[in-house]
Amino acid sequence: MSSDALVLADALVARARAGDLEALESVYRAYRTQVYNLGRRICGNEEDAEDVLQDTFVEVCRSIRRYRGDGSLWGWIRQVAVSKALMLLRRERNRSRRTVSGEVISLELIGTNPPEPTGPIDLEAALGRLTPVTRSVLWLHDVEGYTHEEIGEMMGKTASFSKSQLSRAHKRLREWLD
Amino acid sequence: MVNLRHLEMHELLAERDGEGSAHAQTHLESCEDCRRELERLFRVRAELKALPAFTPPRDLWTNVAADVSQRRKRRWWGAGTVGLAAAAALTGFILLRGGEPITPGPVVDGTVAPVEEGRVAEATPDLELYINRSRELETLLQTYPTQYRVYDAPTAIAVSALEDRILILDGMIHESRQLGVDRRVLVNLWNERTATLETLVGIQLGEARPVDTPVQTSTSVWR
Repeated sequence: MSSDALVLADALVARARAGDLEALESVYRAYRTQVYNLGRRICGNEEDAEDVLQDTFVEVCRSIRRYRGDGSLWGWIRQVAVSKALMLLRRERNRSRRTVSGEVISLELIGTNPPEPTGPIDLEAALGRLTPVTRSVLWLHDVEGYTHEEIGEMMGKTASFSKSQLSRAHKRLREWLD
Repeated sequence: MVNLRHLEMHELLAERDGEGSAHAQTHLESCEDCRRELERLFRVRAELKALPAFTPPRDLWTNVAADVSQRRKRRWWGAGTVGLAAAAALTGFILLRGGEPITPGPVVDGTVAPVEEGRVAEATPDLELYINRSRELETLLQTYPTQYRVYDAPTAIAVSALEDRILILDGMIHESRQLGVDRRVLVNLWNERTATLETLVGIQLGEARPVDTPVQTSTSVWR
């Protein structure tokens, strides 16, 4: 559902590009669920997903005049949303670090992860157990259809990084779902 | 002959995504376990795509619209005052060339400290240079607005950040003018404004690209 391209009337998009708030609101209403869902899938919680939704549409409202219309509007908005979600994730990641004896250690490494499930869990729960980075790569590649090159670039990493994260995600899902 | 080594996860995923190797395809023809694993990967992807979408718990349009309106007001204010700031600075340069040195007005937390009453900022050739360059760059930007290419989203976000910085600098220049701060402060502000505009021009006229072209980034998101 999130990769579906909802096509808005050209006239509406033109008005939005001209800064018409009413038209911009229509754009918001057309895509808010997709953007929120994307934010929720990447960030993993409601609060951050709301931040992604708001940040994305503030950015869309101010930058839509730069959208020329030769690609799909949803493709453009989605790229803004992914950028905002990854920025938020990076901020959260930095915030979740603690300095111990002068060394920066991720909370993931000092035992804050939930215990391993004792039996099979459903896909939604399994997604929630993946680390944010691994989950993001899985979602962006398998659902949104981004290539490994694109994901690596968006994350400031390589295509190989994206591939290895995807492999890790599927190995974990196999353990938890079967 | 059957290749006994089962395929690794990355090989199976490559196969699923249509990028499998000849070795993987040969192996799959004769290995039921790996074929089953490949089918499972197809199934998981289909199930991921079929997950119900989360819907926003509340309407955020009011927040978005308020933010946009606020930015528009700031933009109007910035556009109006920067012209005044530039004109006043140039006037100051013409009228006060050779004037007495003035008390420094340091910038603290983005706010310029006041100086002794009756003293005014002295323009310098450096200041004039930056103001003129700044004007040239703004003219350049205004000359080609219809030729802007569409940006990919990360570039659009970077452009927004640069525009925000220019608005902040315009506010500081305006405030500096009101308070009559030390010329070095003004020179620094105009210097930064010019450099920020240079970057903006570089992006808007040099690096804009069709939306589907990947952007080259040098900064790691995951530092």
